[in-house]
Formats: sequence, C-alpha cells, structure tokens
Amino acid sequence: MARDKTRKKMDMKATLKEMKHQKFLIGVSLVVVVYGIIFYYWPLTGWLMAFQNYKPKNGIFGSKFVGLDKFRFLFEDEVFIKVIRNTFAMGVINLVTTTIMAVLFAIVLNEVRRAWIKKPIQTISYLPHFLSWIVVTSILHVSLSSTGIINDLLMRFGFIDQAINFFAHPKYFWPIVAFANCWKETGWNAIIYLAAITAIDPALYEAASIDGADRLQKIRYITFPGIKPTFLILLLMNVGNVLNAGFEVQYLLGNGLVQSVSQTIDIYVLKWGISQNDYSLGTAAGLFKSAVSIAIIVIANSIAKKYSEQRLF
Amino acid sequence: MKLKKATSLFLSAIMMASVVAGCGNKAADTTPAGGETTQSEDTTAADGAEESAADTAETSSGEVTDFTMFITMPGSEINDDNEIAQMIADKYGVRVKETWLTGQTASEATGTLIAGGEYPDFIDSDEMNLLIDADALVPLDDYIDQYPEFKEKWFTEEEWEKFRQPDGHIYWINPFGNTKGETKTTTHNDEAFWIQVRVLEWAGYPKIQTLDEYFQLIEDYIAANPTMEDGTENIAYTILCEDWRYFCLENAGQFLAGYPNDGSVIVDKTDMTIKDYNTSDDTIAYLKKLNEEYKKGMVDPESFTQTYDEYIAKLSTGRVLGMCDQWWDFANNVNDSYKQTGLDLKGCNYVPLGLTTEAGMENRWHTYDDTVNQASGIAITKDCKDPDKAFKFLVDCAMDQELHDLRFWGVKGVDYEVDDDGLFYRTDEQRLNWADTAYQASHRCQYSYFPQWHGTSDDGKNANKPEEQPSEFMHDMAEPLKACFDAYGVTTYPQMIGSVQETNGPWFPMYSYSNNFTTETPGGVAWAKMGECKHEWLPKVVMAEDFDKGWAEYMDAYNACKPEDFLGEMQEILDTFK
Repeated sequence: MARDKTRKKMDMKATLKEMKHQKFLIGVSLVVVVYGIIFYYWPLTGWLMAFQNYKPKNGIFGSKFVGLDKFRFLFEDEVFIKVIRNTFAMGVINLVTTTIMAVLFAIVLNEVRRAWIKKPIQTISYLPHFLSWIVVTSILHVSLSSTGIINDLLMRFGFIDQAINFFAHPKYFWPIVAFANCWKETGWNAIIYLAAITAIDPALYEAASIDGADRLQKIRYITFPGIKPTFLILLLMNVGNVLNAGFEVQYLLGNGLVQSVSQTIDIYVLKWGISQNDYSLGTAAGLFKSAVSIAIIVIANSIAKKYSEQRLF
Repeated sequence: MKLKKATSLFLSAIMMASVVAGCGNKAADTTPAGGETTQSEDTTAADGAEESAADTAETSSGEVTDFTMFITMPGSEINDDNEIAQMIADKYGVRVKETWLTGQTASEATGTLIAGGEYPDFIDSDEMNLLIDADALVPLDDYIDQYPEFKEKWFTEEEWEKFRQPDGHIYWINPFGNTKGETKTTTHNDEAFWIQVRVLEWAGYPKIQTLDEYFQLIEDYIAANPTMEDGTENIAYTILCEDWRYFCLENAGQFLAGYPNDGSVIVDKTDMTIKDYNTSDDTIAYLKKLNEEYKKGMVDPESFTQTYDEYIAKLSTGRVLGMCDQWWDFANNVNDSYKQTGLDLKGCNYVPLGLTTEAGMENRWHTYDDTVNQASGIAITKDCKDPDKAFKFLVDCAMDQELHDLRFWGVKGVDYEVDDDGLFYRTDEQRLNWADTAYQASHRCQYSYFPQWHGTSDDGKNANKPEEQPSEFMHDMAEPLKACFDAYGVTTYPQMIGSVQETNGPWFPMYSYSNNFTTETPGGVAWAKMGECKHEWLPKVVMAEDFDKGWAEYMDAYNACKPEDFLGEMQEILDTFK
C-alpha cells in the first residue's frame, strides 16, 4: 500500500518534471487549443439557432426555443428534398469525374518524357485552378449561349440545326457543372498523383522492361498499384466533402428554369437564412448537412479499414 | 544575373511608385471632402464652384460630413470628385457616397448587412421589414415633427400613417412618386407592352388593342424586315426573367384584364375581394399566346436565361422590337444609349401600348395618382454618424428647390440655360452631355434615392425634372418618335397608352403589403414559395410543347404552395379598408 503511494507520488513528480521541461511546447500547443476553441468550437454554439425561432435583435439567448419545428419544416418542404438530391448528385458526379480525370491526366503526363514539353503542359493545366468562379462561369455563359462558340461549332459541323439553349434545360445542368469542375481542377488535382508517381522506384520500371513489359503493361502493373494508397486516401478525404458540391457554380449558372436541379444545400441556406431572414431554418439545413457529412466520412473510413490498410482514423 | 537584378529593381521601383501614387490620390480625394476634420471655410469655398462660394456661409458648421448609402438596386457609382456632389457638399455640408447592388439579390444584400451588423448611414432596401426585425433603423417620428413644413408637404396625414409600423414608429420615407404643383407627367413610368416606333411606322400606325394584334404586327414586321439596316438580326420579343425582375413575364395578366398595378393580387372593387391573377383566364390566355409565339420562334430563346445586364445590352443594340417591362426598368439606360449611337433617329425608341384581353376594354396600365409604396424608402440606420444632419439633408432634398434643380437640371449655364421668360432649356450639346455616362460620373449627381418631386418647380414655371418640361420633352424626342406621336394625335406617353383616369382605393398598391410579408406567417411562407414556383414554372409553361399539359403541371406545383394562405391574409388586409 505504502509502496503504491510513493510510486504514485514519484509518477506525479516525474510528470511534473517532464511538463516543466516541455513548458514551451505545452505553451505553444495551448495557444492552438485556445485558437481552436474560439474559432472552431465556440461558433458551433450558433447551432442552437436551429432549435429556436432566432431573431437578430433578441440574440441567441433571448430567442424562443421551438424544438424541432424548423427541421419539420425542412423535411416537409419538397424543395429541400430536391435540394438534397441535387447536392448529392452533383457532389458524386464531381468527385468521380475530377478524380478519374486527374489520375488519367497524371499518368498521361508522366508518359511524356521530354521535360520541355511536360513542364509547360503541367503549368498551363493547373492555372485554371486560380481563376475565380465568377470568371469561369462568365466564360461558360458566353461560350454556351445560343450565339456562343459551342453552338456555332455544333451547327457548322452539322450536328444540330438549331442552337441549343444549354442553360434552359435541366438535363444539361449537371454535366455543365461537372465539366466546369474538371476543366478547373484537373491539372491541380493531378499534381499530387504526379508526385506519387515520381516516388515509385525507377528500378521497378527497368525490371519490367527487361521482362518485356510494354508501356500499357507498365502503367497497369506498376503505376496503378504505386499510386493506389494516395488515391484511396484522397478519395476518403473527398468523400467527406461530397455535400460541399459547390455554391458559386450553381449560384452563378443557375436560373429560374433549372432551379429544380441547380439548387444545392448551400444555396438553400442562403435563400432562407439570409434572404428570408429565417436564420433558424438556414442553420437547421446547415446542421443537417454537417451531420450527414460526418456520417459519410465515418462510414467510408470503416469500409476502407475493412478492405485495405488505408484509412484516415 | 545582371538582367535579373535590373528587372527586380525596375519592378520594385514601379511598385513603390504605385504605392506613392495610391496614397497621393487618396490624399487628394479626402482633403476637399474634409472627412471628420473641420476645415476652414476658405478651403471649402475655393474647392467649390464660383456660384456656391457666396452661399458657403449658410453651411451650419462649415464642415462636410460624408455619409454612406446603400441602395438595393443596381446603379452607377459617381466619381469621388464629382462636380455637382462637391457643390452640394459645399453648400449643404453633406456628401453621400452611394453604393449599389452588385451580383446579389436585394434580399441577400440586406440579409448580409444584418448578419454583419454594420450598416451604412442611409439605406434604401426592398426588404425594410428585415431591417426593422434587426433593430437597424432609427425611428424618424421626432425628426419629422421638427420640420412641420416638410411633414405637411411631403405626405398627407393618411399617407404618413401608412408608413407607421406596428410598433408605432415611422422608419422610412418613400422618396418617389410625389407631385408638386401642377402635374407635368409626360412619361409612362409604369408597365406596358412596348413596341419600337419603326414597327408602327412600317405598318402605317395601326390601332393595336389586343395581344393578338400586337404579336401579329411584330410577326409581319419581322417577316418583312428580318434584319436592321446594318445587318443585325431583329429579335421579335424578349422577356426579362432574372430574379425579382421576372414581373416582366409574371404580372401582365392583371393589366390585360383591365386592373391597375396592385402587383401581387387583383382587387375587385365591386365586392371588395382579393382575386388571384396567377390562375385567371386572362393570364392563361396571355401565357398561351406567349407559348404559341415561342413555338413560332418569335420569343427570344435567351429570354429566360439572360441577366439584367445582358437584357439591357440587348435592348441597347436596338434589335428588340418589343417586350413587356416597366419604363423605369429599361428606359433611362436604353434611351441614353440610343441618343449616343443615333439609333433613336432610326425609330428604335419604344412606345407603350395599352393592351387588353378583348379590344375596347378600359385599361389601367398607367397610374395617374401618386403611388405611395409604403414598403420601401430611404431610412437612417442606427450606425449613422449624425442622424440630425442626415435627416436635415433629406428634408433639404425635398424642400430646397435650388438643390432639387442642381440634382436634376444641373448647373445653370453649364447644363441648362434660362430664356427670357425664366423657362429652362438645354442646347443639343447639353442634352447629349447629360446622357453621356462619363459625364454623368464626373459631373452629374442626382442622389436619385433621396426625396424628389415630379410636377412643377416653386417658380411655377419649370418642371422639376427635365424630362417633364414640355419644351424639353418635345426637343428631346427624335423625329420618328415625334412622327409617331403625331400620327396617333398624342403628345405624351400616358396619352399614348390611353389608360382610364380614376382614383385608386386607399389600399393601392397591394404589393406594398405583400412585399413586407415574412415567413413568420403561413401566408408569408406561401408567398415565398409561390414566387419560387412561378419563377420556375412560368418559363416552362411558355416553352412547353403541349401548353395544356404544361399548365396543368404548373397548377399542381402552384397549388402545393398553398396560395390560399397568402390570399387569405391579403383579404384580411383589404378588409381593414371596408
């Protein structure tokens, strides 16, 4: 018993000593913790609004609690159901297309052996990433208009007789958004895959050559397996982002005619939260989005855990 | 290496220079403005124009207060060194920096301001109820009582009451639609089906009374004249459908049925009931006609996807033969641009037609009375630096004829001349300058969302606005427009549209109530959902392959919004006037 006590004391002492030793490090991490609390966790108290009938002049502590009324309104609103569908659909389409395009692009670019061709292509391809959506959507708006270059080309080559009004038909909207995302992000996303490919041991390629593998076989048996871990980790991280299907693109390209397919949760939040001044409803929609995102990432992670050694946590 | 060094030196030199230049400009901008600092009267006067030098003494404290103002409408900012703004600052000690809506909708912009919690000094929003909800506005009652003359002249007692909010205060003042003295209205500042003068001229100025006749005329014209003189293709009919401006598509039904612009509903005066024009026979007939014309290729295929800017740019090319719109929504921009490009001489100006469902019905497109829209106006926010001075300026804008002339006529001898009888007139050059955007930015300062008058000036001779001055109005008209007016035997736009003259009920316009609906009530929720539903479905119905099927689908979606909740609440409001 007594020995136990002394041992505990000794432990305490050791810990204290260690803490003293590391006081600088602890101090630094404390700053980060405080920062996190103030800027990440404290704002979450705003979620309370989702359960209130929030009015800016009453503030969060003076507003009336209404329980789950706002959520009831949300799920009774057909528009919101459509909005969830749109968000998911565009999120998944974007994720799939941008990932595939990035991997393909990285592999193709990697096969280019001459640096003076490869470097400029790489640079040019990721420049669109730095353009703002305003610019990108304006370009799209002009080039897809009925007198724009796309219709002009299609008509000149005889594919269609009459200009297509791309923004007036719901069926074109998701493809346009996916295309815009690919155009903007492919080069940027490919960078990380290119880096992963570079990290593959060149000896593997040499050995394969000696065994008589051709280019395609080398890609299939060496490059693909080589970038698989990177691919999976990125996929996992991005799956959690599926509900962040975008705001600007849809907001800037949308119009009344296609609003049934163009509105995402973020736009819905803006529309009800800010425009209609119903902060509570907006918060409820945002809260729902966060909850679903967390669920998705947990599920994706456990699937990954089960089938491969790659996982986030 | 050497080259690199030289380049970097050069670049940094440029950067330094631009920084210095930036500061320099800023200094130059702020010095005359005075900002928060008090200036000696000499400097202020020296900066101003000569005429105002003598009046400088009037400035109460001799310093210029810079106010900010946000208006939830798109507009053009004037330069910081705008000449007339400077004269006004010298004399009245106030300068207002106006900023306008860009990219967002009015309610988004207002909501963003509220979420941020910082307001400009003045605000004019279409969403006043949101601002009230957030306690963002200063009650104006006490200020209004300080200026009895203004109080008496600006609104009647009844009209003031309309602005009183449920909490018993008045928070904003509508700056528009007030007539002083004899009315001089020459424009049709309302909605209409517009048509270019050249179309009427080509057809020999026929009498157009119905929508069928209107589209027949346009079809005939475009068949005979597919292009303009310079080879640009004519567009038969376009529709603006962006955001709240989709009224261009949405509310023609009420007018075609012969009702005035109550906006969100029809008021049947005979038994004092609210009627829904969204589902009325007139609206069905109207949309069916549009659908027919769309299939014929007469409706611009970009109609439902174009933005307001694209629409204005399109109209400014003179290609569009006709559209349905409010005069204030397009005319100023488009007419100025026609004047600059000479398209007005080719008959591109628009004239309104008083169409109805059946020929020979009375039409009420034109509003003769002053329309007091109590849903919006200019307000002073709680962040205002100096509410006393701000309100005084607001009153000055309404009550000081000299200031009014400066805003709308410009500087005597520069922007207009005075003849021997004391009548204002402008030379051709002055007229052209006044319409030039660069000149507008550097010289013209209308403070266009501050109180202003129509009608006659205090001198009893001149119109408060140049476009209402008969001689100016006649001079300003291009030959083809004049010929058109002559052919129809009219002299003004309201005569052209030929609406019946009658006094509207005290509830008019009903839209000023529905604009203030919030999602607090079921009616408000229905109203928001109806708007969204119509925004999507009206274009779809117009574009539908099979109109009846499209209409039936639209009605399903529409009824799901529970319009009866909205109509019920509107009826309750109307009942208070029984």
